[in-house]
Amino acid sequence: MAEDAGLACRVDDGERLRAQLEAANRRLAEAYSLASLGRLVTGIVHEMNTPLASILSNNAVMQHGLETLRKLLAEPGEGERARALEILEQLRSLAAVDKTACERISALIPGLKAFARVEEAAVQKADLNAILKSTLALVRCECRARVSFELDLAELPEVECYPQSLYQVFLNLLVNAEQAIEGQGAVKVSTRLEGDRVRASVADTGRGIRPEDRANIFRPGFTTKPVGVGSGLGLSICRQIVVDRHGGRIDFESEPGLGTTFHVWLPLRQANPDGSAARSNSQES
Amino acid sequence: MSVNSMPAVLIVDDEEMVVTSIRAFLKLETDFAVHGFTDPEQAAKFIESNQVDVAVADYIMPKMNGIQFLGRAKQVQPEATRVLLTGYADKQSAIQAINELALFQYLEKPWDNAALLLVIQNGIERAQLIRTLRDKISELDLAHSNLKDVQSRLLRAFM
Repeated sequence: MAEDAGLACRVDDGERLRAQLEAANRRLAEAYSLASLGRLVTGIVHEMNTPLASILSNNAVMQHGLETLRKLLAEPGEGERARALEILEQLRSLAAVDKTACERISALIPGLKAFARVEEAAVQKADLNAILKSTLALVRCECRARVSFELDLAELPEVECYPQSLYQVFLNLLVNAEQAIEGQGAVKVSTRLEGDRVRASVADTGRGIRPEDRANIFRPGFTTKPVGVGSGLGLSICRQIVVDRHGGRIDFESEPGLGTTFHVWLPLRQANPDGSAARSNSQES
Repeated sequence: MSVNSMPAVLIVDDEEMVVTSIRAFLKLETDFAVHGFTDPEQAAKFIESNQVDVAVADYIMPKMNGIQFLGRAKQVQPEATRVLLTGYADKQSAIQAINELALFQYLEKPWDNAALLLVIQNGIERAQLIRTLRDKISELDLAHSNLKDVQSRLLRAFM
């Protein structure tokens, strides 16, 4: 009896410690998520600033243009009519610019909202392509002049997942891809449906991963980036989210000097929505 | 090099919306000839054969940044006024541009239309004054060499 009680106590302790470790890991991932968003802020501000600058300028021009139109319409001569039509054309072009500008700002909102939201506890159905597009909108702000991005997204069913944590996975992979490129380069993001799971791939034309580093890249604290750039947590958090949390798989192919492709496979359905099944799956992988 | 009868302003920004906004503003408010480009390499080709009074360039652009573009403009048309328009409040790039390019003005986005117009008007006036000065100097050089010629002929006549 006493032995049984002791065993139960140790099992309880183990459960408690595991819960604490998981909570600590989650807090670390959240802190990392905010920190990685913080690093993108300069680019995001610039991305919003440019369309905003156009909208502000256009608004002042439109008001003045409309006033000029009013005066021209009061004197309906041939010259006035021609000038009025010219102004109308200019105003039309400004309205089109304003629409594009608003769309550019709007594209940043879903990603920003996702990073600002508190971690969700329950599994939700989400559009993986939309998550990738919103994350890409944030990352490209920083490097659009240097890196071209290509999307090759297949039609996918909704995926049962923790969407906010997937934003973090793709943010880490896209930032890594962009940072691996010295000078000009390209990043291709693709998705495919493969039976009862989906695959998302991020391919860069960067420097590649050296063979001696490959075994370590998912290890917490391992980084080849300079101090202040890499914390060594990005890929370990990706692995934790994809494998431990979703029961998925993450892997990569790399050719030094040519580039790296990371693949993430996620099951369409979570066997046990509280994540415990995902954990048992991960032990097999 | 082709010369416009009206003042010519060149705008280069990889963001089409910025080029359209500034072009529409200048078209509605002024009589300037406005040449807008989203590709700095095309803009650099344009200034090789077309005279401009003011060149306004964005800072961060693919292929060629604003400082590199204005550097090319300085080589081809040193009298054209150079203005950098940037979304990055980056003091380092401002100092570099001012030192390397003899930059006339450094403007930040979002820009104020009235301030932009004033900078462009002053820039046009400056470019035209420099051109007039250059023409006067070459007239003076010509007159000076004519005078030297007359002087040497006079000397030969009397000696």
